[in-house]
Amino acid sequence: MAWMKSKSLTLSLRDRAVRTEISVLTVLLVFVTAVAVAPLSRLLFEGIAPSGVFDWGRIQRIFNQASVWRAAVNTLIMATGSAALATLIGALLAAAVAVTDIRTKASLVFCVILPLMIPPQVATLAWINLFGSSSTLLSMLGLAAEAGTRHPLYSLEGIIIVLGLHNAPLVFLAVRASLRALPSDLVEAARSEGASPLRAFLSIVLPLARSGLISGAALAFVSAAGNFAVPAMLGIPGRVPTLITLIYQRLSDYGQEAFADVALLSLSLGAIAVSGLLFQSWLLRRRDIRITSLTATPLRFSLGPWRRPTEIACWVFALGVLVLPLLALLSTALVSGYGQALTTETATLKNFTNALFHHTMIRGAFMTSAWLAAATAVILTIVGIPLAYFIVWRPNSLVRVASAVLEVGYALPGTLVALAAILLLIKPIPIIQVSLYGTPWIILLAYLTNRSVLSLRPIVSGFMQLDRSLEEAARVVGAGFFRRLRDIIIPLVAPAAGAGAILVFLTVLTEIQVSVLLVTSSTRTIGASVYFLEESGATTLAAAVGVLIVVAVFCLMLFVSSFKDRLPKGILPWAE
Amino acid sequence: MKRLLTASLLALLSGTAFAAPSGKLVVYTSQTPEVAQQTIDAFKAKYPDVAVEWIRNGTAQLMNILRAEVAAGDVKPDVLFVADTINIGQLKREGRLLPYAEAPTTPYDKAFHDADRTYFGTKIVATGIAYNTKTAKRPTSWSDLTAPSIKAQVALPSPLYSGAALNHLHTVAASPEIGWSFYAALAKNGVAPVGGNGPALNDVAGGRATYGIIADGDVMRAKANGSPVDFVYPKEGVSYITEPAAILKTARNIEAAKAFIDFLLSKEAQQLVARQGNIPIHPEVPAPEGFPKLTDIKLLPLDVGQAINTDKEVKEKFRDIFGG
Repeated sequence: MAWMKSKSLTLSLRDRAVRTEISVLTVLLVFVTAVAVAPLSRLLFEGIAPSGVFDWGRIQRIFNQASVWRAAVNTLIMATGSAALATLIGALLAAAVAVTDIRTKASLVFCVILPLMIPPQVATLAWINLFGSSSTLLSMLGLAAEAGTRHPLYSLEGIIIVLGLHNAPLVFLAVRASLRALPSDLVEAARSEGASPLRAFLSIVLPLARSGLISGAALAFVSAAGNFAVPAMLGIPGRVPTLITLIYQRLSDYGQEAFADVALLSLSLGAIAVSGLLFQSWLLRRRDIRITSLTATPLRFSLGPWRRPTEIACWVFALGVLVLPLLALLSTALVSGYGQALTTETATLKNFTNALFHHTMIRGAFMTSAWLAAATAVILTIVGIPLAYFIVWRPNSLVRVASAVLEVGYALPGTLVALAAILLLIKPIPIIQVSLYGTPWIILLAYLTNRSVLSLRPIVSGFMQLDRSLEEAARVVGAGFFRRLRDIIIPLVAPAAGAGAILVFLTVLTEIQVSVLLVTSSTRTIGASVYFLEESGATTLAAAVGVLIVVAVFCLMLFVSSFKDRLPKGILPWAE
Repeated sequence: MKRLLTASLLALLSGTAFAAPSGKLVVYTSQTPEVAQQTIDAFKAKYPDVAVEWIRNGTAQLMNILRAEVAAGDVKPDVLFVADTINIGQLKREGRLLPYAEAPTTPYDKAFHDADRTYFGTKIVATGIAYNTKTAKRPTSWSDLTAPSIKAQVALPSPLYSGAALNHLHTVAASPEIGWSFYAALAKNGVAPVGGNGPALNDVAGGRATYGIIADGDVMRAKANGSPVDFVYPKEGVSYITEPAAILKTARNIEAAKAFIDFLLSKEAQQLVARQGNIPIHPEVPAPEGFPKLTDIKLLPLDVGQAINTDKEVKEKFRDIFGG
């Protein structure tokens, strides 16, 4: 009798757990529908049936153009090449930081992550300056190109190199998150069996870091496909058309057709992104290795005599991608007119005092961007953890479609996501009759469409590494979904989720493309303000605002670090 | 006589009583944020009963927003106040603009507004030659940019991406004195088009290019801030944009929209244009310091209808010459 009772109790508990899971999944799918499926299908509709009429001939005409194909091929080469470079650099750095005994790790990680904060157009301008015929540095070394020759970076190779360097921190974060979960006992066992450190690295560390490597590489691939600043600044003068520059070219066309063409072209960009995603899941499905890492001591390879050279190599990279663009930005911010030589006479703090005290618009924009970035990061983390749970541990076709749609939202150029949001929200939302058009909420929605992958990817790769037995055990004994989430899942994926949240926050804070179409005279983001300042010729003031953003983020990171001891281990991606 | 006076007084009174515009006016403008704010503030000072809601963005972006609004079936703005006449001419052709026959255009040159009175130019922004004062000597002619000695040193905004550059290309290509051979000579000299006006100006100011084909106002502002740049209106003539304003047919507040056009064409608004560092088009308002008199600049005409018709070919030809 007592046995019967306890069995039915367990059953009803498990029943309830299943019901909770179904309702949670429903809520998640509604969220994905609202932020991604709805706006993207609205855009798709505009592409294939402008003004409501389906026109197959028009679609054929567009995809038969040689220029579209050339741009698509260039985009594929650019995304693949730069993803490979970013993966190589990011993985090496991550390995050095996570599993070796090099020193000054904390500051190294800080310097590797901070470039994510430098807007890509600033970094690109710095590289252009560095390798241009007017380069001060290369002239001193006698290496500067002669005046009148083609800039070496104005080429497909140049785009690949700059994008690869720019996206390396993304891979670094993903790989490092998977490496820090590595237990040392495996390696110790291998070493005691006589395996050399290199052998142990290749046969144990590398396979276990696969999920991080692959998801990092895929992130770099999709980021590169959707990046605008680098192909625009290097590819337009280098005559390397890519899909995104083609889209921008068509966006500056006038006439009704241009708009529908752009919507259609963006589909091909979405297709490239989804192909990257499919390749990723195919790679990940081939082998499946998981570990539980809560109790294990982290791994440390001793580099011996190689420690110093490794340290130097890491620092050369970190300082190269951080200090170079920052110096360029700072030297611009310190003169009143762009192009003035920076001397003791021309140096001025005018731009900084203007930015801080005389432009209320800039201060307001900073606050707007800060809360939008924080809200985006928090919402995407709250949604991302249960969504990744379903993607990795309880996949079904609905969940797979949801994650593919989010991927497209990330790969599309920000401007198109903004246009999709406008198309969707210009009329008041039916039933509740609320209009979001012209409010900051439409910007938030577009950010959720465009950035969810940045938070979801690391969480998914976190889940992939986890051994499911703990959670399954909890399920068997009848722990409810939220109970399991709180007690088991969240502590295990916290590092990955933290990395994702930080990525989202940092990249949204200085974001330009999405918000530039959605800002109004009363709601401006800081990225759009910087863009408007540049556009109106106030390059030096824009640079000063850029420097202030980097300084503010730096301080923010330091401030959060001071609570390190009270936070779950591994949640701060830059902390050791 | 007395009756006449009373009648005109009454007319004046009733005029102000009935015509005083009020309510909400939505303006989409491509002026820079500060300039737009000043213009709107000055308008509000004159028409305190009108609540102006405005969105400010680049012309291409504004057109994309407008296209999205058209596609969604809800066009928000009453007034468009953008950079060039080609985009706005396209809207006119689509029948989206409202003619305003009574607009106060009397003092103005006919070239600066639409013959059908759907859009009205407000200033002159000319595209000429910017040069780096440290590395270049002052040019006088467009042909100075094609000298074989200055290989790949011209910052040329791409008309495939920038509306101002497209306006320039259409104007110059149709000019017998400059024409396509100018672009062919640039291409032969290894010039690679860059994204837009901003990058081109920075290339010249930063010394990556010696010359640039850029708008006058931006260069003069940079010069005033200490950048090593200066501007020349070449002797063959310059292309120009007029920053036209137009009322949309879908406008919800036509009275206020007309008041906005009236204001932009007032002497007072033209004086504001001069203070903001651009050449006004009112014959009695002098150009700002450092700018030549409007009558001293050779302005090359642009046939807007022709430009819209030949746009695809012109872009294609540019692509052929520069290879994408």
